[in-house]
Amino acid sequence: MAEILVVAEHRKQSLADVSLEMLTKGRHLADQVSAELLAVVIGKDVNRYGPRLAQWADKVLAVKNDQLEDSQAEPYQKTLAPIIKERKPKLVLIGHSSFGMDLAPALAVDVGAPLATDCTNIAIDNGTITVTRAIYNGKVNALYSFAPSETLIVTGRPGEFLVEEGQKGGSIEEIEYLLDEEFDYKRFEGYIEPEVSEVDITKAEVLIAVGRGIKDKGNIELAEELASALGGVLACSRPVVDYGWLPSGHQVGLSGKTVKPKLYLALGISGAFQHMVGLRGSNMIVAINKDAKAPIFADADYGIVDDILKVIPILTQRINDLKS
Amino acid sequence: MHTVVAIKQVPDTSEAVDVVEIDTSGKDIKKEALVPKINDWDEYALEEAVQWKQKLGGTVTAVTVGPSEWDDILRRALAMGADMAIRIDEDAAAMDCYTVAKILTALISRLPYNLIMFGAQSEDFGSGQLGCMVAEMLGIPHATLVVSLHVGEGEVRVSRELEGGGLELYTLRLPALLTIQTGINRPRYVSFASIKKAREKELKVTSLSELGLSNEALTPMVRLEKLELTPTGKKAELISGSAEESATKLAMILKDSGVI
Repeated sequence: MAEILVVAEHRKQSLADVSLEMLTKGRHLADQVSAELLAVVIGKDVNRYGPRLAQWADKVLAVKNDQLEDSQAEPYQKTLAPIIKERKPKLVLIGHSSFGMDLAPALAVDVGAPLATDCTNIAIDNGTITVTRAIYNGKVNALYSFAPSETLIVTGRPGEFLVEEGQKGGSIEEIEYLLDEEFDYKRFEGYIEPEVSEVDITKAEVLIAVGRGIKDKGNIELAEELASALGGVLACSRPVVDYGWLPSGHQVGLSGKTVKPKLYLALGISGAFQHMVGLRGSNMIVAINKDAKAPIFADADYGIVDDILKVIPILTQRINDLKS
Repeated sequence: MHTVVAIKQVPDTSEAVDVVEIDTSGKDIKKEALVPKINDWDEYALEEAVQWKQKLGGTVTAVTVGPSEWDDILRRALAMGADMAIRIDEDAAAMDCYTVAKILTALISRLPYNLIMFGAQSEDFGSGQLGCMVAEMLGIPHATLVVSLHVGEGEVRVSRELEGGGLELYTLRLPALLTIQTGINRPRYVSFASIKKAREKELKVTSLSELGLSNEALTPMVRLEKLELTPTGKKAELISGSAEESATKLAMILKDSGVI
């Protein structure tokens, strides 16, 4: 029977959300084409993940490897490659996470399989698999097909495939698989935890978020004045941290924090998915951006198409007027 | 230390550009009206390579696969401090990552290198595959999404970005390949004068046949079928008027919603 394989990622005793998203999508595809869904997880205490993965999978392959605490690309690649070569799954699904980005391209070359990364949709039609990807800053959707191959590898964009709790209750097989390699060419040395900042944007009810459109460090002050008028806290998108305009503790998004304020006021933020996944829980999103086609307007409740540097000082003034 | 940096040119489709249209082939966008630029991530990779050259000595070579118009980004790389630039004269726009990885592997394997750097992804297609594939093809260790690095004796220590702002630390044996994340440094300002001056440096052009590759050996694994402009989902209620008027209306909306 045809097989769809999902690679399960875990860190610090917990499965990655994106792996559950891939399991949900994998379950739907497997049901559609009457294939079996196989989940593979590798590490020290893998039995702890078995029952959870079996909610979606027909079969969980829990590969016990005492050398591996959390998911890392090289040990996964060396363990998965022979499994894929032997079982020839029709499709391998991996989350497009930091781990997935470190693993999937090397694995694809290793097993000689076509690879599509960061996909927003995966479809099977008459046995043919196609994927959709968002390109050119999210302004264009591209549909891709693959050269004929026994196995395809696809990584899915985090947050794009919603998790539905599975009811499958598949079987769990635990195997010992000790790699003879030591990975001395790439030694894991530990983690650095995210910086603790003096403001906690995850608890703020009003966030005033600035993006590249703020143009200069000196203009941050304008946003600060607006934030203080609204009793809110400053947040930002990635470029603002990259340019050194605000510390990383203010960053919202995939590589920053996940927030759920009552008001998210986005100033000069285009709305790249890496940013938007961090603020899905917001009650009300207001965007001000001079680019009318900025993707953020598709997610915002209210929008103003104008230059933020013109609008912010007036808005601050009006809010102060209304308060007095 | 010898560092090779792979770079590419992209059309600027950032927030400053509101007109992105699909061309008649249905498989690409109209690029005439878009300003070509060096891929954001690649600029950080170049800057990092040049800074380490200044500390440790050695060379930096910038490489690309692209048409002659892409000489502009190679000149920019030379102006930033690269010693040599090589362009493989081939239009990579229609190729998949696997094919481009094969071509770059053929070139890089002929160069001296201790460290190879790629941008973590591109602004146009954003696959984030290329560097990791080239590392596997060359049989050397890699780390993607690198936000800091330190080159030591025969090894490089890196931190790579995880979700949520945490980092993962690794030590890689050299030669190694790193893909560089934005924000790792502040890329230097490149003046027109310095680009002009960089014309004295060597810019080599080579071809697939010179690298021993034939077009037949480069069958794509992934094929682009068609493009569509992204449909806009839930649309924001746009507040119209001058900056004065729209700011006033927004303040009222915020008041009505109880935020003020």
